[in-house]
Amino acid sequence: MNLYRPDLKRFRFLRWFDFRSWRLGMIAYILNRVTAIGLVLYLYIHLAVLTMLAQGPSSWDPFIRIARAPWFLALDVLLLAGMLIHGLNGLRIALTGFGIGVRGQKPLFVALMIVAAVALIAGALKIFAG
Amino acid sequence: MSITLTLRILRSRRDVMPHYETFEVSVSDAANVLDAIEQVWAHRDRKLMFRHACHHASCGTCAVRINGREKLPCIVPVADYSGKPLTIEPLRNFDIVGDLVVDMAKFFQNQQASDFVITRPTENELVGKPIAYTGGMDPESASTIPFNRFENCVECGICLSACPTMAGDHKFFGPAGLAAIKRQLDKTTDPVERKRLLELADGEHGVWRCHSAWECTEACPQQVFPAESIMALRKEITKKHFRELFGK
Ligand code: HEM
Ligand code: SF4
Repeated sequence: MNLYRPDLKRFRFLRWFDFRSWRLGMIAYILNRVTAIGLVLYLYIHLAVLTMLAQGPSSWDPFIRIARAPWFLALDVLLLAGMLIHGLNGLRIALTGFGIGVRGQKPLFVALMIVAAVALIAGALKIFAG
Repeated sequence: MSITLTLRILRSRRDVMPHYETFEVSVSDAANVLDAIEQVWAHRDRKLMFRHACHHASCGTCAVRINGREKLPCIVPVADYSGKPLTIEPLRNFDIVGDLVVDMAKFFQNQQASDFVITRPTENELVGKPIAYTGGMDPESASTIPFNRFENCVECGICLSACPTMAGDHKFFGPAGLAAIKRQLDKTTDPVERKRLLELADGEHGVWRCHSAWECTEACPQQVFPAESIMALRKEITKKHFRELFGK
């Protein structure tokens, strides 16, 4: 799809995915949006699952068995990754938005992502250790 | 020594949908990309539309995308691409007039909205702040200076093309226009003018639309640091709103 086409003007935002022009700031920008959408989806899934709780042990107990399956725990790790990336990057956006750390926004991103990686590894170990 | 270079250029006209055309040209190995584009026009297709004037990054007119990145082709050596084919596209987020030429009208209107002018007699001092010239274009040393050299801007439009927010909101005032406002703000103590400038930058299509991708600052060939100006304006506007809240 050639986004230079005048009739596709409304879809110009798809240029975000033109990876030829990605730099660190753009990667952070895309990550923030992808994780934000993931977190919103999770919120609805979370609400759906919680409604099972209201239906009593007959529907809740089988779910808990699924929730202990390794593939489900892997999804928990994915959620944790999304939370850490979005939250810590969000902190950077908020700080720089107030004029704090503006000049150091790139090292700030790298440092916060290292923190996210360390926390993710620790979290993943804990999740799988049960 | 001369080398043969392949250029894949995005062509379009009002009645011709954008498509790529490939040209082979011969240029000196010391040539810049603009020289290669000129060779296409001179020897392959006289109908090729592109803009240029100064050939040395002063006029900002030749800005295009080279292999997906916004550049001034007049200062980019073909040697940077070690003989690989070059894809040349017009700037993004502008309407195309034809081939590599985009419609800059709205961009220039926004540049003028703050009464910003790029040419003026040398200033020795901004309001209360001496100008700290770095004497060079080294990004490391430039990073220590206050944002008071907006005249660096050559109004090339590269920052608008690189900005992902601009792709989502065509009404966004744009990095260069906002940086121009910041520059004007630095030059005046007149409360009426300062209020006007801050109101110009405020609002949903103003500084608050920016989502901090920093691409404008990264792409700008002239170290105008538009993103930093946007953040500084946000601070000023927030202060103004707080003052208004307390009736000052
Ligand atoms: C530690 C907690 C969080 C922090 C610090 C945070 C921070 C931020 C910031 C600063 C932005 C604005 C980004 C921008 O200007 O481009 C943002 C956007 C957003 N956040 Fe969060 N956030 C957090 C948690 C969440 C959660 C739990 C959800 C979902 C349930 C969420 C959903 C979103 C959405 C949908 C956006 C809009 C994204 C867009 O502009 O495209 N955030 N967040
Ligand atoms: S701020 Fe930089 S990229 Fe934007 S128009 Fe001016 S010189 Fe070009």
